[in-house]
Amino acid sequence: MRELWNIFKKGIIAENPIFVLALSLCPALAVTSSAINSLTMGLAVMFVITANNTVVSITRNIVNPKVRVPVYITSVATIVTVVQLVLQAYLPVLYKALGIYLALIVVFAIILARAEVFASKNKVTPSFFDGLGMGCGFALALLSIGVIRELLGTGAIFGIKVLGSWYNPALIMILPPGAFILIGYMVAGFKMWTQHMEKVKLERGEI
Amino acid sequence: MSDENNIEHKVNHEKKYSIFQIAMNLTVTCFVSGAIIAGTYFITAPVSVKTAAKIKTDAMKSLVVDAQKFNPVEGKKEWFSAEKDGKIIAYVVPAESKGYGGAIKMLVSVTPQGKIIDFNILESKETPGLGDNASKDPFRNQFKGKVAKDLEVVKDATKVDNIQAMTGATISSKAVTKGIKEATQQVTQYVGGK
Repeated sequence: MRELWNIFKKGIIAENPIFVLALSLCPALAVTSSAINSLTMGLAVMFVITANNTVVSITRNIVNPKVRVPVYITSVATIVTVVQLVLQAYLPVLYKALGIYLALIVVFAIILARAEVFASKNKVTPSFFDGLGMGCGFALALLSIGVIRELLGTGAIFGIKVLGSWYNPALIMILPPGAFILIGYMVAGFKMWTQHMEKVKLERGEI
Repeated sequence: MSDENNIEHKVNHEKKYSIFQIAMNLTVTCFVSGAIIAGTYFITAPVSVKTAAKIKTDAMKSLVVDAQKFNPVEGKKEWFSAEKDGKIIAYVVPAESKGYGGAIKMLVSVTPQGKIIDFNILESKETPGLGDNASKDPFRNQFKGKVAKDLEVVKDATKVDNIQAMTGATISSKAVTKGIKEATQQVTQYVGGK
Protein backbone atom coordinates (compact mmCIF):
# COMPACT_ATOMS: atom_id res chain seq x y z
CA MET A 1 0.00 0.00 0.00
CA ARG A 2 2.78 2.39 1.04
CA GLU A 3 4.61 1.60 -2.20
CA LEU A 4 1.54 2.43 -4.29
CA TRP A 5 1.11 5.72 -2.44
CA ASN A 6 4.72 6.62 -3.20
CA ILE A 7 4.20 5.81 -6.88
CA PHE A 8 1.09 7.98 -6.91
CA LYS A 9 2.73 10.82 -4.97
CA LYS A 10 5.80 11.22 -7.14
CA GLY A 11 3.69 12.32 -10.10
CA ILE A 12 2.28 15.20 -8.12
CA ILE A 13 5.44 16.76 -6.70
CA ALA A 14 8.79 15.05 -7.26
CA GLU A 15 8.17 14.27 -10.93
CA ASN A 16 5.40 16.72 -11.76
CA PRO A 17 4.86 16.46 -15.54
CA ILE A 18 4.76 20.21 -16.12
CA PHE A 19 6.96 21.78 -13.48
CA VAL A 20 9.66 19.13 -13.17
CA LEU A 21 9.62 16.86 -16.22
CA ALA A 22 8.57 19.80 -18.46
CA LEU A 23 6.63 17.46 -20.73
CA SER A 24 3.44 18.41 -22.59
CA LEU A 25 4.00 22.13 -22.17
CA CYS A 26 2.07 22.83 -25.36
CA PRO A 27 -1.38 22.12 -23.86
CA ALA A 28 -0.26 23.82 -20.66
CA LEU A 29 0.15 26.98 -22.71
CA ALA A 30 -2.79 26.54 -25.06
CA VAL A 31 -5.77 25.62 -22.92
CA THR A 32 -5.02 27.29 -19.60
CA SER A 33 -6.52 30.69 -20.38
CA SER A 34 -9.41 29.93 -18.03
CA ALA A 35 -9.71 27.74 -14.97
CA ILE A 36 -12.59 25.65 -16.26
CA ASN A 37 -10.81 24.78 -19.52
CA SER A 38 -7.70 23.80 -17.58
CA LEU A 39 -9.66 21.58 -15.24
CA THR A 40 -11.55 19.70 -17.97
CA MET A 41 -8.36 19.22 -19.97
CA GLY A 42 -6.52 18.01 -16.88
CA LEU A 43 -9.25 15.49 -16.06
CA ALA A 44 -9.37 14.22 -19.66
CA VAL A 45 -5.60 13.68 -19.67
CA MET A 46 -5.78 12.03 -16.26
CA PHE A 47 -8.32 9.54 -17.56
CA VAL A 48 -6.41 8.79 -20.77
CA ILE A 49 -3.02 8.38 -19.09
CA THR A 50 -4.41 6.05 -16.42
CA ALA A 51 -6.31 3.94 -18.95
CA ASN A 52 -3.35 3.80 -21.30
CA ASN A 53 -0.91 2.83 -18.56
CA THR A 54 -3.24 -0.01 -17.60
CA VAL A 55 -3.59 -1.25 -21.18
CA VAL A 56 0.14 -1.03 -21.86
CA SER A 57 0.89 -2.88 -18.64
CA ILE A 58 -1.60 -5.66 -19.37
CA THR A 59 -0.22 -6.20 -22.86
CA ARG A 60 3.44 -5.69 -21.97
CA ASN A 61 4.38 -9.33 -22.45
CA ILE A 62 2.68 -9.86 -25.79
CA VAL A 63 3.70 -6.62 -27.48
CA ASN A 64 6.76 -6.99 -29.62
CA PRO A 65 9.44 -4.54 -28.40
CA LYS A 66 10.30 -3.61 -31.98
CA VAL A 67 6.86 -2.21 -32.64
CA ARG A 68 6.01 -1.10 -29.13
CA VAL A 69 5.79 2.62 -29.94
CA PRO A 70 3.24 2.20 -32.77
CA VAL A 71 1.27 -0.11 -30.49
CA TYR A 72 1.31 2.46 -27.67
CA ILE A 73 0.20 5.21 -30.05
CA THR A 74 -2.62 3.01 -31.35
CA SER A 75 -3.68 2.34 -27.78
CA VAL A 76 -3.70 6.04 -26.85
CA ALA A 77 -5.53 6.91 -30.07
CA THR A 78 -8.18 4.28 -29.38
CA ILE A 79 -8.78 5.51 -25.85
CA VAL A 80 -8.95 9.14 -26.96
CA THR A 81 -11.36 8.31 -29.78
CA VAL A 82 -13.62 6.42 -27.40
CA VAL A 83 -13.55 9.36 -24.98
CA GLN A 84 -14.37 11.69 -27.87
CA LEU A 85 -17.31 9.61 -29.06
CA VAL A 86 -18.72 9.25 -25.58
CA LEU A 87 -18.36 12.95 -24.79
CA GLN A 88 -19.93 13.89 -28.10
CA ALA A 89 -22.95 11.76 -27.36
CA TYR A 90 -23.49 12.42 -23.67
CA LEU A 91 -21.67 15.65 -22.75
CA PRO A 92 -21.74 17.80 -25.90
CA VAL A 93 -21.00 21.01 -23.99
CA LEU A 94 -17.75 19.63 -22.65
CA TYR A 95 -16.92 18.17 -26.04
CA LYS A 96 -17.34 21.58 -27.63
CA ALA A 97 -15.25 23.30 -24.98
CA LEU A 98 -12.30 20.94 -25.40
CA GLY A 99 -12.50 21.12 -29.18
CA ILE A 100 -9.34 20.28 -31.04
CA TYR A 101 -7.26 19.76 -27.89
CA LEU A 102 -9.07 16.56 -27.09
CA ALA A 103 -7.76 14.93 -30.27
CA LEU A 104 -4.31 16.31 -29.55
CA ILE A 105 -4.08 14.24 -26.34
CA VAL A 106 -2.96 11.40 -28.62
CA VAL A 107 0.43 13.01 -29.14
CA PHE A 108 1.03 14.29 -25.61
CA ALA A 109 4.58 13.44 -24.70
CA ILE A 110 3.74 12.68 -21.07
CA ILE A 111 1.40 9.80 -21.99
CA LEU A 112 3.88 8.07 -24.25
CA ALA A 113 6.66 8.75 -21.74
CA ARG A 114 4.79 7.01 -18.91
CA ALA A 115 3.94 4.05 -21.16
CA GLU A 116 7.58 3.66 -22.16
CA VAL A 117 9.27 4.46 -18.85
CA PHE A 118 6.88 2.86 -16.39
CA ALA A 119 3.91 0.86 -17.64
CA SER A 120 5.87 -1.33 -20.08
CA LYS A 121 8.09 -2.53 -17.23
CA ASN A 122 5.70 -2.80 -14.31
CA LYS A 123 2.69 -4.75 -13.16
CA VAL A 124 -0.85 -3.53 -13.71
CA THR A 125 -1.59 -2.05 -10.26
CA PRO A 126 1.56 0.08 -9.94
CA SER A 127 1.09 1.22 -13.56
CA PHE A 128 -2.46 2.26 -12.80
CA PHE A 129 -1.32 4.35 -9.84
CA ASP A 130 1.58 5.80 -11.78
CA GLY A 131 -0.84 6.98 -14.46
CA LEU A 132 -3.26 8.31 -11.86
CA GLY A 133 -0.49 10.19 -10.03
CA MET A 134 1.00 11.65 -13.19
CA GLY A 135 -2.47 12.61 -14.44
CA CYS A 136 -3.26 14.18 -11.09
CA GLY A 137 -0.02 16.16 -11.12
CA PHE A 138 -0.74 17.28 -14.66
CA ALA A 139 -4.30 18.30 -13.82
CA LEU A 140 -3.22 20.21 -10.70
CA ALA A 141 -0.45 21.99 -12.58
CA LEU A 142 -2.85 22.98 -15.35
CA LEU A 143 -5.46 24.08 -12.84
CA SER A 144 -3.02 26.29 -10.92
CA ILE A 145 -1.79 27.89 -14.16
CA GLY A 146 -5.38 28.37 -15.31
CA VAL A 147 -6.55 29.92 -12.06
CA ILE A 148 -3.65 32.40 -11.92
CA ARG A 149 -4.01 33.36 -15.58
CA GLU A 150 -7.75 33.85 -15.34
CA LEU A 151 -7.41 35.84 -12.13
CA LEU A 152 -4.73 38.17 -13.46
CA GLY A 153 -6.14 38.33 -16.98
CA THR A 154 -9.81 38.88 -16.26
CA GLY A 155 -10.12 39.35 -12.50
CA ALA A 156 -12.31 36.25 -12.22
CA ILE A 157 -11.99 32.60 -11.22
CA PHE A 158 -14.21 30.01 -12.92
CA GLY A 159 -16.04 32.93 -14.52
CA ILE A 160 -16.94 34.48 -11.13
CA LYS A 161 -15.61 37.96 -10.53
CA VAL A 162 -13.42 38.02 -7.43
CA LEU A 163 -11.45 41.20 -7.94
CA GLY A 164 -13.45 44.42 -7.84
CA SER A 165 -13.70 47.02 -10.54
CA TRP A 166 -10.52 48.68 -9.22
CA TYR A 167 -8.57 45.89 -10.86
CA ASN A 168 -7.50 46.58 -14.42
CA PRO A 169 -7.11 43.14 -16.05
CA ALA A 170 -3.71 42.41 -17.55
CA LEU A 171 -4.77 41.15 -20.97
CA ILE A 172 -1.37 39.64 -21.65
CA MET A 173 -2.01 36.95 -19.06
CA ILE A 174 -4.76 35.29 -21.08
CA LEU A 175 -2.74 35.53 -24.28
CA PRO A 176 -0.01 32.97 -25.04
CA PRO A 177 2.92 35.19 -23.90
CA GLY A 178 1.34 35.41 -20.45
CA ALA A 179 1.40 31.63 -20.22
CA PHE A 180 5.11 31.51 -21.12
CA ILE A 181 5.98 34.12 -18.52
CA LEU A 182 3.86 32.52 -15.81
CA ILE A 183 5.09 28.97 -16.43
CA GLY A 184 8.67 30.25 -16.25
CA TYR A 185 8.08 31.78 -12.85
CA MET A 186 6.16 28.75 -11.63
CA VAL A 187 8.91 26.32 -12.66
CA ALA A 188 11.45 28.53 -10.88
CA GLY A 189 9.24 28.74 -7.79
CA PHE A 190 8.71 24.99 -7.78
CA LYS A 191 12.46 24.43 -8.01
CA MET A 192 13.16 26.82 -5.14
CA TRP A 193 10.57 25.11 -3.00
CA THR A 194 11.87 21.57 -3.65
CA GLN A 195 15.45 22.72 -2.97
CA HIS A 196 14.34 24.30 0.27
CA MET A 197 12.55 21.10 1.28
CA GLU A 198 15.65 19.05 0.56
CA LYS A 199 17.72 21.37 2.69
CA VAL A 200 15.28 21.04 5.55
CA LYS A 201 15.39 17.27 5.28
CA LEU A 202 19.19 17.34 5.18
CA GLU A 203 19.34 19.44 8.32
CA ARG A 204 17.04 17.02 10.09
CA GLY A 205 19.36 14.27 8.96
CA GLU A 206 16.70 12.33 7.10
CA ILE A 207 18.79 11.79 4.03
CA MET B 1 11.50 -6.80 -8.27
CA SER B 2 12.79 -4.20 -10.69
CA ASP B 3 15.91 -6.29 -11.45
CA GLU B 4 13.80 -9.20 -12.45
CA ASN B 5 11.79 -7.00 -14.78
CA ASN B 6 14.86 -5.48 -16.34
CA ILE B 7 16.19 -8.93 -17.16
CA GLU B 8 12.88 -9.89 -18.66
CA HIS B 9 12.98 -6.77 -20.77
CA LYS B 10 16.52 -7.48 -21.97
CA VAL B 11 15.65 -11.02 -22.97
CA ASN B 12 12.75 -9.69 -24.99
CA HIS B 13 15.05 -7.33 -26.80
CA GLU B 14 17.57 -9.99 -27.67
CA LYS B 15 15.05 -12.38 -29.14
CA LYS B 16 14.93 -12.48 -32.88
CA TYR B 17 11.54 -11.79 -34.35
CA SER B 18 10.55 -12.56 -37.88
CA ILE B 19 9.02 -9.77 -39.90
CA PHE B 20 5.84 -11.83 -40.03
CA GLN B 21 5.50 -11.87 -36.25
CA ILE B 22 6.02 -8.12 -36.08
CA ALA B 23 3.47 -7.52 -38.82
CA MET B 24 0.97 -9.79 -37.07
CA ASN B 25 1.48 -7.90 -33.84
CA LEU B 26 0.60 -4.61 -35.49
CA THR B 27 -2.29 -6.15 -37.42
CA VAL B 28 -3.84 -7.56 -34.28
CA THR B 29 -3.38 -4.25 -32.44
CA CYS B 30 -5.09 -2.30 -35.20
CA PHE B 31 -7.83 -4.88 -35.49
CA VAL B 32 -8.59 -4.76 -31.77
CA SER B 33 -8.47 -0.96 -31.79
CA GLY B 34 -10.79 -0.82 -34.78
CA ALA B 35 -13.21 -3.22 -33.16
CA ILE B 36 -13.32 -1.19 -29.94
CA ILE B 37 -13.91 2.08 -31.80
CA ALA B 38 -16.54 0.53 -34.05
CA GLY B 39 -18.33 -0.91 -31.02
CA THR B 40 -18.32 2.44 -29.22
CA TYR B 41 -19.49 4.22 -32.35
CA PHE B 42 -22.29 1.72 -32.78
CA ILE B 43 -23.57 2.59 -29.32
CA THR B 44 -22.93 6.34 -29.28
CA ALA B 45 -23.80 7.33 -32.88
CA PRO B 46 -27.60 7.25 -32.48
CA VAL B 47 -27.31 9.10 -29.17
CA SER B 48 -25.06 11.80 -30.59
CA VAL B 49 -27.38 12.36 -33.56
CA LYS B 50 -30.20 12.90 -31.09
CA THR B 51 -28.07 15.17 -28.90
CA ALA B 52 -27.00 17.23 -31.91
CA ALA B 53 -30.62 17.65 -33.01
CA LYS B 54 -31.65 18.62 -29.49
CA ILE B 55 -28.85 21.16 -29.22
CA LYS B 56 -30.03 22.69 -32.48
CA THR B 57 -33.65 23.07 -31.42
CA ASP B 58 -32.54 24.32 -28.00
CA ALA B 59 -30.29 26.87 -29.69
CA MET B 60 -33.17 28.04 -31.88
CA LYS B 61 -35.56 28.11 -28.93
CA SER B 62 -33.17 30.31 -26.97
CA LEU B 63 -32.95 32.65 -29.94
CA VAL B 64 -36.70 33.00 -30.43
CA VAL B 65 -38.22 32.54 -26.99
CA ASP B 66 -41.89 32.90 -28.01
CA ALA B 67 -41.72 30.47 -30.91
CA GLN B 68 -43.93 27.40 -30.79
CA LYS B 69 -42.73 25.69 -33.92
CA PHE B 70 -39.76 25.79 -36.26
CA ASN B 71 -40.18 25.01 -39.94
CA PRO B 72 -37.47 24.73 -42.56
CA VAL B 73 -37.72 27.51 -45.13
CA GLU B 74 -38.18 26.24 -48.66
CA GLY B 75 -35.42 27.00 -51.11
CA LYS B 76 -33.02 28.20 -48.42
CA LYS B 77 -30.56 25.81 -46.89
CA GLU B 78 -30.47 25.71 -43.10
CA TRP B 79 -33.06 28.48 -42.80
CA PHE B 80 -35.85 28.10 -40.31
CA SER B 81 -38.94 30.15 -39.71
CA ALA B 82 -40.23 30.46 -36.18
CA GLU B 83 -43.98 30.38 -35.91
CA LYS B 84 -46.36 31.52 -33.20
CA ASP B 85 -50.12 31.02 -33.64
CA GLY B 86 -49.59 30.27 -37.32
CA LYS B 87 -47.76 33.54 -37.96
CA ILE B 88 -44.09 33.82 -38.77
CA ILE B 89 -42.51 35.88 -36.02
CA ALA B 90 -38.86 35.35 -36.87
CA TYR B 91 -36.35 33.72 -39.16
CA VAL B 92 -33.43 31.77 -37.79
CA VAL B 93 -30.62 31.88 -40.31
CA PRO B 94 -27.02 30.75 -40.30
CA ALA B 95 -24.27 33.33 -40.62
CA GLU B 96 -20.60 32.95 -41.19
CA SER B 97 -17.63 35.29 -41.28
CA LYS B 98 -13.90 35.19 -40.90
CA GLY B 99 -12.67 36.07 -37.44
CA TYR B 100 -9.30 36.27 -35.78
CA GLY B 101 -8.80 32.52 -35.49
CA GLY B 102 -10.74 31.24 -38.50
CA ALA B 103 -14.36 30.94 -39.48
CA ILE B 104 -17.04 31.98 -36.99
CA LYS B 105 -20.30 30.14 -37.49
CA MET B 106 -23.37 31.72 -36.01
CA LEU B 107 -27.10 31.38 -35.86
CA VAL B 108 -29.00 34.67 -36.06
CA SER B 109 -32.68 35.26 -35.37
CA VAL B 110 -34.24 38.16 -37.23
CA THR B 111 -37.83 39.39 -37.32
CA PRO B 112 -39.52 39.61 -40.74
CA GLN B 113 -39.17 43.39 -40.34
CA GLY B 114 -35.40 43.00 -40.31
CA LYS B 115 -34.77 43.57 -36.62
CA ILE B 116 -32.25 41.39 -34.87
CA ILE B 117 -33.58 39.39 -31.97
CA ASP B 118 -30.49 37.54 -30.85
CA PHE B 119 -27.59 35.48 -32.08
CA ASN B 120 -25.65 32.44 -31.05
CA ILE B 121 -22.11 31.39 -31.88
CA LEU B 122 -22.05 27.75 -32.92
CA GLU B 123 -18.43 27.36 -33.77
CA SER B 124 -15.42 29.63 -33.45
CA LYS B 125 -11.73 29.57 -32.72
CA GLU B 126 -11.45 33.06 -31.26
CA THR B 127 -8.98 33.77 -28.47
CA PRO B 128 -10.37 32.40 -25.20
CA GLY B 129 -11.07 35.21 -22.79
CA LEU B 130 -11.01 37.86 -25.51
CA GLY B 131 -12.70 37.17 -28.82
CA ASP B 132 -14.81 34.34 -27.54
CA ASN B 133 -16.56 36.73 -25.18
CA ALA B 134 -18.61 37.74 -28.22
CA SER B 135 -21.25 35.25 -27.18
CA LYS B 136 -21.58 36.87 -23.75
CA ASP B 137 -23.06 40.11 -22.52
CA PRO B 138 -22.45 43.05 -22.71
CA PHE B 139 -21.31 42.57 -26.30
CA ARG B 140 -24.09 40.22 -27.22
CA ASN B 141 -27.11 42.18 -26.02
CA GLN B 142 -26.04 45.23 -28.02
CA PHE B 143 -27.52 43.60 -31.09
CA LYS B 144 -31.05 43.24 -29.77
CA GLY B 145 -33.56 45.24 -31.78
CA LYS B 146 -30.98 46.74 -34.10
CA VAL B 147 -31.37 46.89 -37.89
CA ALA B 148 -28.69 46.17 -40.49
CA LYS B 149 -27.67 49.79 -41.06
CA ASP B 150 -26.79 50.30 -37.38
CA LEU B 151 -24.40 47.39 -37.38
CA GLU B 152 -21.15 49.30 -37.41
CA VAL B 153 -18.35 48.55 -34.97
CA VAL B 154 -17.17 51.64 -33.12
CA LYS B 155 -14.82 52.30 -30.23
CA ASP B 156 -16.63 55.43 -29.17
CA ALA B 157 -18.74 54.70 -26.11
CA THR B 158 -21.09 57.63 -26.82
CA LYS B 159 -22.43 56.09 -30.04
CA VAL B 160 -25.05 53.90 -28.44
CA ASP B 161 -26.79 53.16 -31.75
CA ASN B 162 -23.80 51.23 -33.00
CA ILE B 163 -21.88 48.22 -31.75
CA GLN B 164 -19.16 48.79 -29.18
CA ALA B 165 -16.08 46.70 -29.90
CA MET B 166 -14.85 44.31 -27.24
CA THR B 167 -11.64 45.49 -25.60
CA GLY B 168 -8.68 43.73 -27.17
CA ALA B 169 -10.81 41.91 -29.72
CA THR B 170 -11.66 44.38 -32.46
CA ILE B 171 -11.24 41.83 -35.22
CA SER B 172 -13.61 39.35 -33.56
CA SER B 173 -16.11 42.13 -32.88
CA LYS B 174 -16.03 43.25 -36.50
CA ALA B 175 -16.29 39.69 -37.81
CA VAL B 176 -19.31 38.84 -35.66
CA THR B 177 -21.01 42.11 -36.59
CA LYS B 178 -20.34 41.58 -40.29
CA GLY B 179 -21.76 38.06 -40.22
CA ILE B 180 -24.92 39.20 -38.45
CA LYS B 181 -25.31 42.18 -40.77
CA GLU B 182 -25.14 39.97 -43.84
CA ALA B 183 -27.63 37.53 -42.39
CA THR B 184 -30.04 40.36 -41.57
CA GLN B 185 -29.74 41.78 -45.08
CA GLN B 186 -30.45 38.36 -46.54
CA VAL B 187 -33.60 38.07 -44.47
CA THR B 188 -34.80 41.51 -45.51
CA GLN B 189 -34.13 40.61 -49.12
CA TYR B 190 -35.96 37.32 -48.77
CA VAL B 191 -38.98 38.84 -47.06
CA GLY B 192 -39.06 41.77 -49.49
CA GLY B 193 -38.82 39.52 -52.53
CA LYS B 194 -41.60 37.22 -51.44
